[in-house]
Amino acid sequence: MTAPTGTRGRASSDDPRVMLDEQIGVFEPIPPYPPRTEREAEFYTLRDGEMFINIGPQHPSTHGVLRIVLKIDGENVVDLDPVLGYLHRGVEKLCENADYHQAICYLDPLEYVSSLFCEWPGVMAFEKLLDVEVPRRAEYIRVLSSELNRVASHALFMGWMALDLGGLTPILWSFIERDEIVEMLAALTGQRMLFNYFRIGGVNGDLNHEFLSRLGDWMGRATAQIESNTALLNENEIFVRRMRGLGTMDSETALRMCMSGPNLRATGVPFDLRRAHPYSVFPELEFDIPTRTEGDCLARYLVRLDEIKQSLRIIDQCLNEMPDGPVMAKLPRLLRPRPGRAYAGIEGPRGQYAAYVVSDGTDQPFRMRIHDPSYLHLQSVGLLMPGHLIADAMAVMASLDPIMGGVDK
Amino acid sequence: MTAMTRTWGRLTLAGKVIFTVLPILAVLTVGLIVVIVLFGGGILDFLATNLWLVRFVVAATAVLLMSVPTAFLIIYMEMKVIALMNLRIGPDRVGPFGSLLSVVHGLKVLMKEDFSPTGVDRIVFTLAPIVVFMSTVMALLVIPFAPGLFGQDFNIGLLYFFAIGGMTVVGLLMAGWSSFNKYSLLGGLRSAAQVISYEIPLTLSVVGLLLLAGTMSLNQISLNQAGWFSDWYVFKQPLGALIFFIAATAEANRTPFDLTEADSEIVAGFATEYSGMRFGFFFFAEYVNVFVISALIVTLFFGGWNAPFPWPWPVALNLDPGSLGIGLLILVAIVPVIGTLILAAPFWLASSRVKGWQALVMGFILFNLVVVTAIFGIAYVGLDWVAGLLWFLGKTYVFVFTFVWMRGTLPRVRIDQLMGFAWKWLLPASLLNLFVTAAAIAIVNPR
Repeated sequence: MTAPTGTRGRASSDDPRVMLDEQIGVFEPIPPYPPRTEREAEFYTLRDGEMFINIGPQHPSTHGVLRIVLKIDGENVVDLDPVLGYLHRGVEKLCENADYHQAICYLDPLEYVSSLFCEWPGVMAFEKLLDVEVPRRAEYIRVLSSELNRVASHALFMGWMALDLGGLTPILWSFIERDEIVEMLAALTGQRMLFNYFRIGGVNGDLNHEFLSRLGDWMGRATAQIESNTALLNENEIFVRRMRGLGTMDSETALRMCMSGPNLRATGVPFDLRRAHPYSVFPELEFDIPTRTEGDCLARYLVRLDEIKQSLRIIDQCLNEMPDGPVMAKLPRLLRPRPGRAYAGIEGPRGQYAAYVVSDGTDQPFRMRIHDPSYLHLQSVGLLMPGHLIADAMAVMASLDPIMGGVDK
Repeated sequence: MTAMTRTWGRLTLAGKVIFTVLPILAVLTVGLIVVIVLFGGGILDFLATNLWLVRFVVAATAVLLMSVPTAFLIIYMEMKVIALMNLRIGPDRVGPFGSLLSVVHGLKVLMKEDFSPTGVDRIVFTLAPIVVFMSTVMALLVIPFAPGLFGQDFNIGLLYFFAIGGMTVVGLLMAGWSSFNKYSLLGGLRSAAQVISYEIPLTLSVVGLLLLAGTMSLNQISLNQAGWFSDWYVFKQPLGALIFFIAATAEANRTPFDLTEADSEIVAGFATEYSGMRFGFFFFAEYVNVFVISALIVTLFFGGWNAPFPWPWPVALNLDPGSLGIGLLILVAIVPVIGTLILAAPFWLASSRVKGWQALVMGFILFNLVVVTAIFGIAYVGLDWVAGLLWFLGKTYVFVFTFVWMRGTLPRVRIDQLMGFAWKWLLPASLLNLFVTAAAIAIVNPR
């Protein structure tokens, strides 16, 4: 057979006949060539008995389009190189080319399982720039809807966690919770996933009958339903044995790796933005900050379960203390804030979401920086994964709960 | 010539197939008739002197034909049962309650492109599914389904079973190695490590039973357990049964030991690069394997085809249709009509809105049900192989359901936990079981 390289056009990167200085196999990841840093050069050099394996970008358990190049020795993960950017859309730049109202809808798809938490910091930062007083009813509605969204997000996390460990059933059970919440939020906001509900100075619409009736239905059985769903995992010997002591991280390392949210609280640091830097109406509400001290995957999972219970408490209080009044502040059509800068951070289901906005006095943000916890959590996979097995690498990644929409922005 | 070409071109695909296949079939039929007419006597004599050959061919054909519907049934069962556990509906479109969906899956898999990716080792890649499928199906040969209903009654049946079952791992390893894919390679290596580790407790766990039974013939082991259900070996070898069940789960690569095709880690393991009917063979083999393993558990520990209690009123069924005479005519021609009319009457009388023909249809359906029930009842009471087959399949599908149930409930274990469990727990436990059994036999029944 003659080599058909010339006749078939250009050799693609997965062509076995691709010409490089050193011959590499078809399924070796093509390293950045030449290597850009010493770290890259070291990583892409194989010692005896090691091989690369590409996890992603299309893989059943990478939660989107994360790609991780694992260097494995048998079943052991020796080293890894996460490759990001497959979902990059330039959200920050898009926001800078839209006016303040339009920018909110670009924030939604950052975290497609908990969209309200992405809108909130942006909206809060804009409100700080504009010196807007948000009506109390609007603040309560924001807290109510976002806590519902937190429950939905954590419920989905439970299912994903189990799916990455090989359990088929919990994902569908947790989708029951999520579907009910998503349907009631759809009744409130008009959308199932990307709600686009928060507005500068309030929310898009008042509570309606369908939302409240669905919420009342669900609240009656939520606790029992979540308990029964989690019993399948919490009392499962295989699940607990695989999760306990896996991917352990102490609190100092967690703080150094910029962790926040449940992942930080699982290491024993009771840091919650709702208490540490109170915003909205959280000072008026009663809730605890659940923490664990183990810092392993099981702790991260259990902290989230406890948070669901606290969220249900907050929802209950919101419904009891919901004040009357308008849900939108009076604002001019065209928003031109004073030149300046504003920062707003909130506590989301994954950690600290924040937005930093610079205004130059026009109707568009001059610069908008979005801080997303998934990205910062993902950087610690390099600490947690090496030394474990491939199966555990997946469990560690699932327990950090990254959402690639927020990581790649 | 051009006219023929044009006519050929106008035919649809089905037409082309029919016009090609029909003449071939006609020629073959004529040839077969000629051969039979010319050499029929000689062939019959040869077969009469070599009955084992006939028996083998019939058994192999029956087992091959049986494997496909079994796999379809178990696939459908798995889809439906897991759907119910997941609070879904599951298949409900094709056939009654979606029961034909697995058949449609089979046809779909058949129609897909026979594709092998760049860089695979073609020969090994093609052979691997065949090895896996054949080794699974061949294990069916020694399983006694009912008294007198088995492929071959080896005196080393159990040993044959383990030998053939061990061949599966060769196929998986071939698939993993030849696929030229790292996920497949890892899956193949995992399957080798796992299946070979679990072979040892699997084999050791039945040695105690063999000491009790004194034979390796599966048929004889079934016969030994006749009588009440307290005679089943599970009550004499509870630990052995438990170890056998666990090790067999790992041997069949079922959840929670399905590391070879762990979809959340190594996409589909050894089957990642397979598609079309080659993947279909793996798929069939997996489900036939579930059936085989369940059947073996039933045969060894749960009494095989024996009912849990002896039927208290045995009936000798010797029905000669010729002796009935005019009664046969009455039975065939008059009883159905009268039965249908009698069973239709209540429907017709019940409501004035029921039309006459609707009542007749209902009566006909009911009459058929009654007749089928009666025939099954008589067969169950009178023919021991029907009773045996019903009990055997019933027990086997209980275990198939257990495997499906485990798949719906349990997450996957890790590879080090898997190996540690085999070597640290199952192996000592099976040795202990063997030791205790041997000691008990020595004490109770000293030579």
